[in-house]
Amino acid sequence: MKVMNCPLNGPRNISEFAWGGEVKPMPDPASLDDHAWGDWLFLENNEAGVVREWWCHVPTSFWFIAERNTVTDEILKTYPAGELFKDRVNFAAKAEKK
Amino acid sequence: MLPALFPYKLLPYGFRRKYRPQRFIPKQKDLKSSYDVVIIGGGGHALACAYYLARNHGITDVCILEKGYLAGGNTARNTAIIRSNYLTPEGVRFYEQSLKLYRDLSQDFDFNILYSERGHFTLAHTDAAVRTSRWRAEVNKQLGVDSELIFPDEIARLCPHLNMSDHVRYPILGALYHPPGSIARHDAVAWGYARGATAMGAEVHQQTPVTSIIIENGTVKGVETPRGRVYANKVMQAVAGSTSVVAKMAGFRLPIRTIPLQACVSVPLKPFLDQIIVSGSLHVYVSQSSRGELVMGGSTDPYGLYSTRSTLDFKEGLLGHMLELLPMLGEVKILRQWAGMADMTPDFSPVMGLTPVKNYYIDSGWGTWGFKATPVCGLTMAHTIVNDEPHELIKPFYLDRFVEYAQVGEKGAASVGH
Amino acid sequence: MAGMNRLPAPFGTWIDRTEKISFTFEGKEIEGFAGDTIASALLANGQTMISRSFKYHRPRSVLTMAGQDSNTLVQVGDEPNCLADKRRIEPGLAVEGQNYVGSFEDDKGRFTELVERFLPVGFYYRTFHEQKKSWKAWEPIIRRMAGLGKADLKADFHHSYYDKQYLFADVAVIGGGPAGMAAALGAAEGGAEVILVDEGAEPGGSLWYARFNFDGTHGSLTRAELAAAINGRRNIRVLSNAVCTGLFADNWLPVIKDNRLYKLRAKSVVVATGSIEQPSVFRNNDLPGVMFASAAQRLIRLYGVKPGSRAVILAANDDAYGAALEMLDAGIPVAAMVDLRADVPNTEMTQAVRRAGVEIIAGHAIQEAIAGPGKTRITGAVAAPVAGDGKLGNGGRNLACDLILMSVGYSPAAHLLHHAGTKFAYDTSSHMYRPDSVPAHVFAAGSVNQAYALDAVLADGRRAGWLAARDAGYSSGAEPPAPADLGCDGVTHPWPIFPHDKGMDFVDFDEDLKYKDLINGIADGFDNVELLKRYSTVGMGPSQGKHSAVAAVRIVARETGESLNRMSVTTQRPPYTPEKFAHMAGRVFEPERRTAMHHRHLELGAQMMPAGVWWRPAYYGQKSARDQAIRDEVNAVRSNVGLIDVSTLGGLDVRGPDAAELLNRMYTFAYAKQQIGRCRYVLMTDNAGVITDDGVAVRFHDEHFYVTATTSGVDAVYRQMLWWNAQWRLDVDVANVTAAYAGVNIAGPKSREVLKRVCEGVDLSAQAFPYMGAATAEVAGIPARIMRVGFVGELGYEIHVPASQGEALWDALMAAGGQEGISPFGVEAQRVLRLEKGHIIVSQDTDGLTSVWEADMAWAVAKTKPFFVGGRSAEIQAKKPLTRKLVGFTLANDGDPCPEECHLVLQGEEIVGRVTSAVRSPSLNKVVGLAYVHPSDGEPGKQFEIKVDGGRRITGVVTKYPFYDPDNKRQEM
Repeated sequence: MKVMNCPLNGPRNISEFAWGGEVKPMPDPASLDDHAWGDWLFLENNEAGVVREWWCHVPTSFWFIAERNTVTDEILKTYPAGELFKDRVNFAAKAEKK
Repeated sequence: MLPALFPYKLLPYGFRRKYRPQRFIPKQKDLKSSYDVVIIGGGGHALACAYYLARNHGITDVCILEKGYLAGGNTARNTAIIRSNYLTPEGVRFYEQSLKLYRDLSQDFDFNILYSERGHFTLAHTDAAVRTSRWRAEVNKQLGVDSELIFPDEIARLCPHLNMSDHVRYPILGALYHPPGSIARHDAVAWGYARGATAMGAEVHQQTPVTSIIIENGTVKGVETPRGRVYANKVMQAVAGSTSVVAKMAGFRLPIRTIPLQACVSVPLKPFLDQIIVSGSLHVYVSQSSRGELVMGGSTDPYGLYSTRSTLDFKEGLLGHMLELLPMLGEVKILRQWAGMADMTPDFSPVMGLTPVKNYYIDSGWGTWGFKATPVCGLTMAHTIVNDEPHELIKPFYLDRFVEYAQVGEKGAASVGH
Repeated sequence: MAGMNRLPAPFGTWIDRTEKISFTFEGKEIEGFAGDTIASALLANGQTMISRSFKYHRPRSVLTMAGQDSNTLVQVGDEPNCLADKRRIEPGLAVEGQNYVGSFEDDKGRFTELVERFLPVGFYYRTFHEQKKSWKAWEPIIRRMAGLGKADLKADFHHSYYDKQYLFADVAVIGGGPAGMAAALGAAEGGAEVILVDEGAEPGGSLWYARFNFDGTHGSLTRAELAAAINGRRNIRVLSNAVCTGLFADNWLPVIKDNRLYKLRAKSVVVATGSIEQPSVFRNNDLPGVMFASAAQRLIRLYGVKPGSRAVILAANDDAYGAALEMLDAGIPVAAMVDLRADVPNTEMTQAVRRAGVEIIAGHAIQEAIAGPGKTRITGAVAAPVAGDGKLGNGGRNLACDLILMSVGYSPAAHLLHHAGTKFAYDTSSHMYRPDSVPAHVFAAGSVNQAYALDAVLADGRRAGWLAARDAGYSSGAEPPAPADLGCDGVTHPWPIFPHDKGMDFVDFDEDLKYKDLINGIADGFDNVELLKRYSTVGMGPSQGKHSAVAAVRIVARETGESLNRMSVTTQRPPYTPEKFAHMAGRVFEPERRTAMHHRHLELGAQMMPAGVWWRPAYYGQKSARDQAIRDEVNAVRSNVGLIDVSTLGGLDVRGPDAAELLNRMYTFAYAKQQIGRCRYVLMTDNAGVITDDGVAVRFHDEHFYVTATTSGVDAVYRQMLWWNAQWRLDVDVANVTAAYAGVNIAGPKSREVLKRVCEGVDLSAQAFPYMGAATAEVAGIPARIMRVGFVGELGYEIHVPASQGEALWDALMAAGGQEGISPFGVEAQRVLRLEKGHIIVSQDTDGLTSVWEADMAWAVAKTKPFFVGGRSAEIQAKKPLTRKLVGFTLANDGDPCPEECHLVLQGEEIVGRVTSAVRSPSLNKVVGLAYVHPSDGEPGKQFEIKVDGGRRITGVVTKYPFYDPDNKRQEM
């Protein structure tokens, strides 16, 4: 049973966490054509190596980011999402559609 | 015992002075510098493809490159359940064809794959699960596959060992009963295909990983290995959990996540369980092999990992639920646990056929459902490679179906209770 | 004496001669002592045969006396495959043999050996498939021949008790032999909290029974010293009779003791699990009377049992000579030492054996053990000169004996190290595998780490313990040096394998595999250990290759010319020794969630049903009257007033300046302009445009929305909101208050009258509190959030109160509605009422792929919002032609049966959709439902085909919904 060092709660058994997959920040959907949007949405890197991932400590509902080696399962570091996502994300109003 | 069923084939072994070996795979030769077809991966699907390339299309200049030992990946690790009681018409047609091929496989190979029709029961413990079972039963019946939604009385009659009590956390409300559900010896399937394919001229190279893929002007030309470069007219990858790693060499990505799937067996027991029992709600399944071991598994691990390591929590969760279904097994013991690496797709259907690279074909997205598809996979991928056009049965499983919002939903009916 | 083969004290350190215990074996009464195992008691009483082998049903008996082999598996009551050499006897235990045909003594299965030549390796692959029906006919026979013990089909795990406990240690030491004891002391010196896990009754391991010097005193003196030191340390906790079955990630260790599974987390682990004695391969090496030297020593020292009356010892190391001295001490004559080595070294032990007058036959091996009548015991050994690797010359000698001890080598018991990911290298001078790179926070000590000389073992242990403690953050004093000479050379023979022309020379005892089975398997092309294992089944039996894995590697290396340096044994997987299902299951905690009104439902006679992990009332009344009960509840709501517990529905408090913005982005609809005191539908889609949840958003303040969600969806909805906002950084806070609030919905034309009686602080009139309005007020003195939503299509109020007041609220409303005869109603009635209005149920009427367009919910999609989750995908989906459409329907012929959920909609023979919900509406007296149909049939009035039970086709008619009260007058009054 791996130990995950939650930035908020400290080291906890990994069974207390939910895995959120690779961190892939969403580009503004309006800026992508249909195919590019589909690619971003569905395709995965599924890397065998160090990956930056989302994890959630379920009992406290705390989302954070971990860097983990997906081959050895070694968790290299964990940190709050705010270290990566610093600014408020805004979406531009839609241009007039037909 | 009827004379026709007498094992005459064993007699020569007793009467000969010396054992006459029959090699399943020829001794490994040197790699040639080029082949007609190179297959990356040496598991059941790859071997089946080589077999049908030779048998159905006369293509024998085929090279299988396996990075480990023959069929040592998921083919060696699965729990060997074969069925066609899927949800989508596309899935049902596909797996039903596989079942048809499986039934004749021992005779085709002249090698016993221990194919045993046991009857497959998917237990439903919630209204939503009963609903999904009926959906599958109706689709199956409409397509000529033998499945039926049955209820507790009938379940108790057919599966006398199941705990049908109301006083459990999640009582059994119904089941999808699929009489043709079977088990087989997974390694034997691979060996049969290996022997057949190599007898017809294909080459199997073990301990030979592919380290890069040679592409010129969007067309695959060959592969690099530590034993040298190999050119090929056509290349197929069939590497299950390593799909994304190999596809990356070819320059494209898939909607796949590699997640461990664990399983375990008990110490062998005298036979008592004939059926294959699956519980979607409790996330467990069990069957008893011809060796007497209870073969058990559950759902995939909670997070992705490129490893075949196993865990304690898997056993704890599995057996807790197993004892709810079969409470007489408390004193039975686990003998061994292991894991495979499942290449999971968003819709629980495979990704097969053409890729963005010309003459490069893919067989992937096999998640937790790959072993039963071994024959039909080989058959359809052989056709696809030869014709540069997906076989009818696999057209729905094309790579671009995701970006085209045309998924084939085998995860199908999600269940939520109000 | 409890047995004719007993030795007097001081032999038998683990038995208590003052307590006699009787049990039965195969119906025969056997007497032993407290502390005896089943095997030791049986041998003491002259019952040599303890099991029958898997394939040939050959008699088997004690081999390791340590639970490492599977030659003494017995059935003990409802427990199959029990290790007789580990299981201690209890009064009245009923022990049976396993795997026999007829009787244990006269097992007809043994005739299989007569046709052994017709059963080559993998024989079941070569035949039984000639016709399709062949395997169908043969499989039941093969299945009956396979398997060992029996599952007791009458047993019930619920009648026994197994539990689990967490343990924490700075340093866990696994194995309480000399290395482990030294390690525990080495770790404890620095102040680390140490847990020492040992399989034996008391720590000591081989110190209890092995001979370390010629007079046999060194072992017990050492043990006493170490034990005293350990007892004197407050920070060493000893778990005896405990076995650690695996080493999992981050040093998570399962330890099984009695009825408990301990889950032990250690900062660092010392693996001091010792080594497993390895057999010699020769004809009849499996029969009763052939055992390891250490097994005989355990029998003599621990249990006070004579293993035989005349011994021959096959030797290739000094331990064999120690064993000889033990035999002599126990009064068992040693006919000869048959030593594989041409030159037997002069050591303290060998000299002592010579002095005792025992013949030493150097450069010889045992060619064959002579089987006695029925093969139940050997009667002699044939010793032949070694002429080369695996080859024997002529001039063999017959030696009369009933006991052959094998002492030709060891293999590390490295399973836990393998689990942890240790790499091993083959040591060409010791002829054993040694740990080559051990992962962080794991340390190896003792013979598992190649230390065999006792001094080296103790030094190695102490050092490992010290290093482990330092790794855990504790250290004192200087780092102890590594032992200079491990003493591992000359302990293991590289090729104690002597195949015999007549066979029965076993490499794998579990699977009855003979030498030629492996050779033939390799010749068949399975020429590496992994493939050979799968083809021949070597190493796949209950002992998982403890005695065959290394031999298999040696044989494959020799046959293929591959170097042992480039090979390893097949992957070692947990568990180290078989574990009971019951230990893994423990008490099986299955949480359930109950609402505050749970007991009221039971008191009112509700039939409860699961909704996720919650329990909800399905309907109120007897099971036999289910349909009528549901109809009555529906009628009560439509014509009078009903009350339903909706506490399980999710509730989220969304607060902050960006509350509306968050809702705008999470849901399809628009919320920025939603007025305070108003409710609005929420529909959630995921980023792929698939409908995932729905509910209602109530605006109580500019910066406060109270949002409901489905019972089993709310936790995911909540997590999703937090996940998105971890990226968006909006100024908003979301709290999952589902469990904080209990809720009811009071519905029906009389609901306003009833509620008025207990409601304060709010005007409930239609003008002041219109449909889709909301307010906070007091209901029966309880602070409440009140909403009017389109729930079941009648005038109604949803009331949420703090959960602690839920029962009080229920009681107050039931009392208030007494004169109207207010009816509680459950989930089944709710489903019918909602279906009569055409409300969709997410994940019943939608599935894992349903888009808003397919579900005909374009009305819920805001057109001008810059963004919402799923919006981009919805745009793309909108451009594609629909493949199905969700519609309301009734039946063309109402005499037809009401379809079931998931009956298919067909066009000809093609499946184009399915019914998702259907009911014979009590309010309308006809069938209404929702179904996916082909888009070409998607308009009201169109007819379509439904396939119902028995293959019958009926006709559905697309019908606009709501079916009941289409103008919604009743719910909006």
